[in-house]
Amino acid sequence: MTREFLGEFEELVLTMVAALREDAYGAAIADEIQTRLSREVNLSAVHVTLYRLEDKGYVKSSLGGATQERGGRRKRIFTVTSAGMATLKAMRAARVDLWKLVPQLKLIVGH
Amino acid sequence: MRNNQRMKSESSIRRDPETIVMRTWSVRLLRQLCPASLYEEIEGDLIQRYKRDVSKTSERVARRRLAWNAIRFIRPGILMRNQWSLNITSLSMVRNYLTIALRIMGRNKGYTTINVIGLALGMTGALLLGLWVANEFSYDQFHEDGDRIAIVWNREKQGGDVSCWSATPRVLAPTLEAGFSSIENAVSYAHYSDSYLFVAGEKRILKNEANFVDPAFLTMLSFPMIQGDVRTALNDPNSIVLTESFAKQLFGDQNALGGEITVAQGDYKIPFTVKGILKDLPGNTDFHFEFLLPFSFIETNFGKEENWENNSVVTLVKLKNGATVQAVTDQIRDLKKKNVQGEKTELFLYPLEQGHLYSKFENGVPSGGRIEIVRMIGMLAVILVLIACINFINLSTARASRRTKEVAVRKVTGAFRSALVFQFLCESILVASLASLISLGAAYILLPGFNSLIAQSLSMNFTSASFWLPFAIAVLVVGLLAGGYPSIYLSSLSPIRIFRGGRIELSRSRIRSLLVIMQFGFALTLIVSTVVVFMQTRFLQQRNVGYNRSNLIYQYVTGTLQKDFVTYREALLSTGYVSSITRTSSPVTQRMSNTSGMYWRDKDPADNTIIERFSVDQHLAETMGVEIIQGRDLDLMKYPSDSTGALINEAAARLMKFDNPVGELIEDSGREWHVVGVVKDFVFTSPYRRVEPIVMQGAKMGEHMEGVVHIRLNKDQPVRDAVGAIGQVATKINPDYPFEYNFVDQEYARKFANEATTIAITSIFSGLAILIGCLGLLGLSSYLIETRMKEIGIRKVLGGSVSNIIGLLANSSLRPIFWAIVIFSPGAWWAMRWWLQSYEYRIDFSWWIIPMASLLLLAMAMSTVILQIYKAAGVSPTKTLKSE
Repeated sequence: MTREFLGEFEELVLTMVAALREDAYGAAIADEIQTRLSREVNLSAVHVTLYRLEDKGYVKSSLGGATQERGGRRKRIFTVTSAGMATLKAMRAARVDLWKLVPQLKLIVGH
Repeated sequence: MRNNQRMKSESSIRRDPETIVMRTWSVRLLRQLCPASLYEEIEGDLIQRYKRDVSKTSERVARRRLAWNAIRFIRPGILMRNQWSLNITSLSMVRNYLTIALRIMGRNKGYTTINVIGLALGMTGALLLGLWVANEFSYDQFHEDGDRIAIVWNREKQGGDVSCWSATPRVLAPTLEAGFSSIENAVSYAHYSDSYLFVAGEKRILKNEANFVDPAFLTMLSFPMIQGDVRTALNDPNSIVLTESFAKQLFGDQNALGGEITVAQGDYKIPFTVKGILKDLPGNTDFHFEFLLPFSFIETNFGKEENWENNSVVTLVKLKNGATVQAVTDQIRDLKKKNVQGEKTELFLYPLEQGHLYSKFENGVPSGGRIEIVRMIGMLAVILVLIACINFINLSTARASRRTKEVAVRKVTGAFRSALVFQFLCESILVASLASLISLGAAYILLPGFNSLIAQSLSMNFTSASFWLPFAIAVLVVGLLAGGYPSIYLSSLSPIRIFRGGRIELSRSRIRSLLVIMQFGFALTLIVSTVVVFMQTRFLQQRNVGYNRSNLIYQYVTGTLQKDFVTYREALLSTGYVSSITRTSSPVTQRMSNTSGMYWRDKDPADNTIIERFSVDQHLAETMGVEIIQGRDLDLMKYPSDSTGALINEAAARLMKFDNPVGELIEDSGREWHVVGVVKDFVFTSPYRRVEPIVMQGAKMGEHMEGVVHIRLNKDQPVRDAVGAIGQVATKINPDYPFEYNFVDQEYARKFANEATTIAITSIFSGLAILIGCLGLLGLSSYLIETRMKEIGIRKVLGGSVSNIIGLLANSSLRPIFWAIVIFSPGAWWAMRWWLQSYEYRIDFSWWIIPMASLLLLAMAMSTVILQIYKAAGVSPTKTLKSE
């Protein structure tokens, strides 16, 4: 069985969609990444990544939530699908497993 | 008060961030490119971002970031999400445009006719010229390995100049093939003028030239062979290759391959076997032959020619893959010098594919050639189309007021300006396409006539993309060229001003005048060039040739005429139809050979002037009618020593600086000739050039050198009877050969074939240019007069006379033409002087040519508009001033 792997930025965006729940749309995700990780992200990169994740079936989207803040334009709200959640969990588990292999690293470096 | 309010509302618009975002150029671009389903949320995000940035930083920074953010959305990840589909709306709009265009064209039939006919005339002319130009560019481009084939040229300093020529020794080709690893093949190609009688069964055909080649010639060049094997066809010394039509002449419908032919030349009768049939040569090659004979035939029978100083053949080489012309030139440059003591000639290669258009050398370097005339003709084609396009431009902008309402309605109902531009371009392309259809038909009908006029065999290849593609592109370009400016102009009209009524200022007349000036300027230039070309050619044709061309015929000495020449001559003279006979080395209209290797007393060793050789037995003055100005004619009867005598012309006497030429000695190739007389200069080679020095050498050169008989007919007898009588004598003495002869005056006239073509082309196309220009003038002036009908009425009411009004209208119609004359005359004068420079023997540019051409142009224009003007001036003011 071939499993679709996620790139680093894709994983980050997917995690953000999961974290922001009802408020997960392009600009909000970009802002969150910027504030929480102090990482400058490009708005269009977030959008393209979201569309790609939707193509892969990890998120789905619907239009809604027009606010004055955005001149009455609706947002596209993304939600994680169960496939997306499963992938996220699997990736996290794999990360943890790998991390266990390098417990001493910090000490040696610190010495 | 009102103003204030407007300013206020404008500034509030400026402050609205949403509007700012929407008006930012990169956002507008993104809107065009982004899939509609995604655009709303993206624009929302951009607005949100922008508002945040404005609050955090300055408006300026926020705007910059906004622009940048929007640009970054234009990326494949977004663009590729577009669902591409044919835009049905725009297609139906095109249909609408075409419908409207057809209706408008139908409503203004006169104006449409002028547009379409003008363009069609221009395009027909351009199409014919374009075919010719394309044909010129296709010369010898069809050889498969053409990029590797080159011709060997010579370059030598002669006097102050470096001259170049392409005749080389026979021994060069084998030397090149054997001694240079980068040369794959080298062949000799020779063209000998002599008479060859072909006998196949009962059929006898006399040919006055023959081509000898090495066997590899057939594989080097791509002349398709229908029957036989190109690799072996000429391997046997007694083999011959024929073209299809010559084979048909000889063998009729029988199979020619393997057939036996006897070729008789001089005293020889040699059997050849046909080993190959070539397809007839295409029109676009500079090789001309009807049959090919192998060099090995000459060599097995008469021995190898090893002389490096006898330049008698063209040498073609095929380079190995990867070898460059320059590199091989460097290798072979000094080959001649190595083989001949004291030789100064260098060799160089020149690519075959450039031979046709670029084989003129000036001072040793390539300096154009036929390409110059090809460029000029190409320009003529472009100018014709341009003149026709100008008609379209002028008429559509002048008549713009007729369509202002349509433009306004379209704009008010939401048409973008680009849509209007597109609409008008559709119209002009439609007109161009209509015109192109007419021009295709017209060109098809006219092509045979055009071909015979220019002595070519051009054809329109309707099945080939190489014809349609350039044609379609040309039609499109014409449509855009003609419609470009009018569409921009028409689409710029403002609907508010149109609907508000009143007079819309459509003052573009200055540009129109400029365009008319251009049209008539071109026409003037063409008229002037036609006149000059015509005069120069007349001048050349009427040049005093120096001998009497009429009642003079020549024939080649064939078969037993050689042996029994004295009998033949006496028999002819006794018929009473012939007054004098002279044997020569070549017809008086053709040069035979020349040399810079003649010597005389006190010759300057640095003098390399080329002197023409011409062999004559006797009675030159009597037969040709040249004038002896010093000494006497050659006469073997009276003076047997005249066999080593020589006549020289004035040019030679001047060159040799003889005070008293008679009795001087001239040495040529080891023989001494004593001058017995000087003849007045006569045109021997080219009527375009000054007369070259000629030494006419006596009979000692040997009978084989004197293969032509000139016969002066008795002018008191009918020519037809005389020729019949000569023919009877000839066939009696020489029964194996058909009696063939040429009239010297006809042969001489053939030297002007090129000029005749140039005259035909310039006169026809300048006529076309004037016609198209006048068509445009007709359309323009009729419209302008229409708009001035009220003015004319008022003038008449206030007492203006008819003649007054005619003067007024004529003045405004003809003023651009007057300016065209002023502006374009110097250019025309300069161009024609440049053209005349190419002739050594030429007319002076007469002062009256330009005024005459100008008058002609004015007269044409005047006669075009005068009828309309006269009619308009005669209309009663009660008719024009009735309304309003």
